[in-house]
Amino acid sequence: MNERDAWIALASVDGVGDVTFARLLERHGSARAALQAVVGSRAASSDRAVAEMTGARPRPGLGRRIRQAAEDPGRVPRLVAGLGGWLLTPLDADYPSALLHIEEPPLVLYGLGDRSTLHAERLVAVVGTRRPTAAGRDLAARVADRLVEVGATVVSGLAVGIDGAAHRAALEAGAQTIAVIGSGMDRPGPAPNRGLARRITRAGAIVSELAPGVPASTGTFPRRNRIISGLAFATIVIEAPARSGALITARLALEQGRRLLVATGRPLDPRVAGNLQLLRESPARPLVGLDELVVDLQLERPRRGQEAPSRGVARLGREAALALLEPTQRAVAAALADGPRSIDALCRATALEPGVVTAALTMLQLRGWAHASGAVQLPAGPLTRMDK
Amino acid sequence: MLAILDTAVVHGLRGELVRVEVDIAQGLPSFHIVGLPDAALSEARERVRSAIRNAGFDYPLSRITVNLAPADRRKHGAAYDVAIAVGILLAHEQIRASGGPWALLGELSLDGGIRPVPGVLPMVATLRSSGHRRVCVPLANIAEAALVEDIEVVGADGLDDVARLVAGPRGRTAARARRRTAIRIAGSSNALPRACLRPGEVTELADLRGQEQARWALEVAVAGRHNLLLVGSPGAGKTMLARAVPDLQPPLSETEAREVAVIRSVAGLTAATDDRLRRPFRSPHHTTSYAAMVGGGPRLRPGLVTQAHHGTLFLDELPEFDRGVLDALRQPLEDGSVEIVRAHGAVTYPARLQLIAAMNPCRCGWDGDPERHCACPAREPERYRRRVSGPLADRIDLRVVMPRMEPGELVALARPEPSAVVAARIERAWVLALERNGGSPNGALRGERLLTVCALDDVARRAVEELAARLELTGRGVHRLLRVARTIADLSARDGVTADDLAAAASLRDRTLEAATA
Repeated sequence: MNERDAWIALASVDGVGDVTFARLLERHGSARAALQAVVGSRAASSDRAVAEMTGARPRPGLGRRIRQAAEDPGRVPRLVAGLGGWLLTPLDADYPSALLHIEEPPLVLYGLGDRSTLHAERLVAVVGTRRPTAAGRDLAARVADRLVEVGATVVSGLAVGIDGAAHRAALEAGAQTIAVIGSGMDRPGPAPNRGLARRITRAGAIVSELAPGVPASTGTFPRRNRIISGLAFATIVIEAPARSGALITARLALEQGRRLLVATGRPLDPRVAGNLQLLRESPARPLVGLDELVVDLQLERPRRGQEAPSRGVARLGREAALALLEPTQRAVAAALADGPRSIDALCRATALEPGVVTAALTMLQLRGWAHASGAVQLPAGPLTRMDK
Repeated sequence: MLAILDTAVVHGLRGELVRVEVDIAQGLPSFHIVGLPDAALSEARERVRSAIRNAGFDYPLSRITVNLAPADRRKHGAAYDVAIAVGILLAHEQIRASGGPWALLGELSLDGGIRPVPGVLPMVATLRSSGHRRVCVPLANIAEAALVEDIEVVGADGLDDVARLVAGPRGRTAARARRRTAIRIAGSSNALPRACLRPGEVTELADLRGQEQARWALEVAVAGRHNLLLVGSPGAGKTMLARAVPDLQPPLSETEAREVAVIRSVAGLTAATDDRLRRPFRSPHHTTSYAAMVGGGPRLRPGLVTQAHHGTLFLDELPEFDRGVLDALRQPLEDGSVEIVRAHGAVTYPARLQLIAAMNPCRCGWDGDPERHCACPAREPERYRRRVSGPLADRIDLRVVMPRMEPGELVALARPEPSAVVAARIERAWVLALERNGGSPNGALRGERLLTVCALDDVARRAVEELAARLELTGRGVHRLLRVARTIADLSARDGVTADDLAAAASLRDRTLEAATA
């Protein structure tokens, strides 16, 4: 058993968290030695032996579980390989260095998809509430789209709402994106975003510090937030009511010495109460516009050699870009370019039949020019970059 | 003396012949009914005794035994009253059966009047097929009984009428009978008010401003008999829109109309005769019980899903329905029928229906609204929506979000198309689809057949692949897409489904419920 296998085996034991792991490592010098020490203790009292080593109260069954892990250290790696994934430990050279410098780096990082995404040059976290307004979704998508354009990679948490909007916009713009999830990677959730998770697996990476099979629980989400903020050099809060999980991510980002941008909102509006609180009480910078965002994060330098795929369309200007579309799609896109509209409003604005408008909208969505949010259609992609 | 008469009972939606044997013998006065009667039937003794006296006959002070054959079949209801009473009169020789054979149906009231009973239509049909040529039914049931051909149907209002019929034109006894007049402070009709099948208030589409997308979705749903879910904030017009359905539905075919008439008869619902070809539209309240929805109860009555056979079941405030009631909709929506098994037997009721459902996005109604703030606690909206289970949501082809209308918009908008214009378009598409699909509407298409009738060309096939990949559709999702696209093409009378049809269909699948379906 080499040290890496022992590390993974010990870290994936149910009941061994950061604290237990750190104490065992401190006492025995290595994960391998720690495992051997537990195996070597008398079976009947292994729980107490572990408790002695860690200076904590004995926990029933923990000794037995550690012994089992020591007996078959290849179990978890086999499980991960079976899912088509990979895992990284701080012992590995390609463990994201940004995470080594945060408090409690993940002991093991399990992942699906393209692991080189973790080493993209400019990772930016885009976070917010699970229940955003249409305008919030719109902003998330526009921010993600602009980030992609200047060569940054969007990191978020795969939740419904702002997270999903940011991931989707990044994918629509033809870029990779990273989702950090709060459950084992065998079941990336929540359910409404399973399809999105599959897309990210194909174009980007899904990572988690939890072993396959571990379900999400109330504690796992706040903890994974430290990985979101830790991976990224900057975190952008789009929309957060009071007590939103996004505020935890924001505070962690500050603690980790990362930059924090917070979208401004209307005073007294409960849907952005968290944003306002952060702006008032923390050294966060306000997000006032997409160009200012690029300047504040010093992202002006375009990514080496290549440009985002839809950049060319934006350069054409509104009329020329619209001219690329079929007549009905052009009419609908033109009506949508001014801001979010309902399908009914688009029918009225274009004087077209609902069947025609919806068909055009679907095609615009497929091309990344529009995005549906409940009853509201949001302009996306090239439309968001057009001057009004 | 012994008298033998024929009457009938309803089991499921079929009638069954029941033979009533009445024997009057010497002995202490008594009245026994044998042959598995239920409580309502045992009470027939009391009704029959009073009715005979109040109709002007004598109640025999003898030992009366009534046998209902076949004896192994449980008998329920009050439809045998008339046969039992006439049997007693015959056995007691107060009247003579000189009028030839008659089959008798009806419930007696204490004054000797005859009340309507449910299920007269299938009972008369059964009597006809077992060789009867003449049947006497309650006057209030005469319209439905007359739907059976090749049998003489006479309506009777009182026991004295029936006695006259049975005794024949020259029957001496009938003249003797004179009904006593009751001291009435009630209405004079024998037919107590029964549930009526009028669809309630029907919306004229021209009166409904805005909501262009939802209006179009409703047109597609009715034209293909797709199940439809309308999601929207309070006041968006969900209920009003759904209530336009009765005027949009294509008329029933002759065969369908017969099936619907039988169900109405058994369920004890009356329908105006000019509504015979109108599809049923039922909109039960959300407190509806399980037995009322799927059918059953101690006497096995068809439930709402069967009453909506060949028509529409509208469930307003869908998540407020009992979870069990909603899940019970799955079998009828999938198989077009519902099988009810009880200790004393099983019946299968047909239930080929269109489900139209409406719901708020959350309990307070404002989740997802661009302007107003949703006051529900965190995760509550998801929990609210999860009450509609995944398997049920899976069977709903069309899902549309209706945005709230600004009061200003309502006034400013032009008057839209009236129901009659939309209904004409729907009927054309409906006829087209039924001819091509061999009788089933697009909403019922499954598997290989669906792919055949969609007649996709290469461009459309590529569009399906692209939509499936980009919109993250499951296999079921693709089938839903194809079914809806087929109807959209039918509304434009196109032979093959085009990429545009598919793109339009793709927009009619709101994701509000997908937390529950994934």
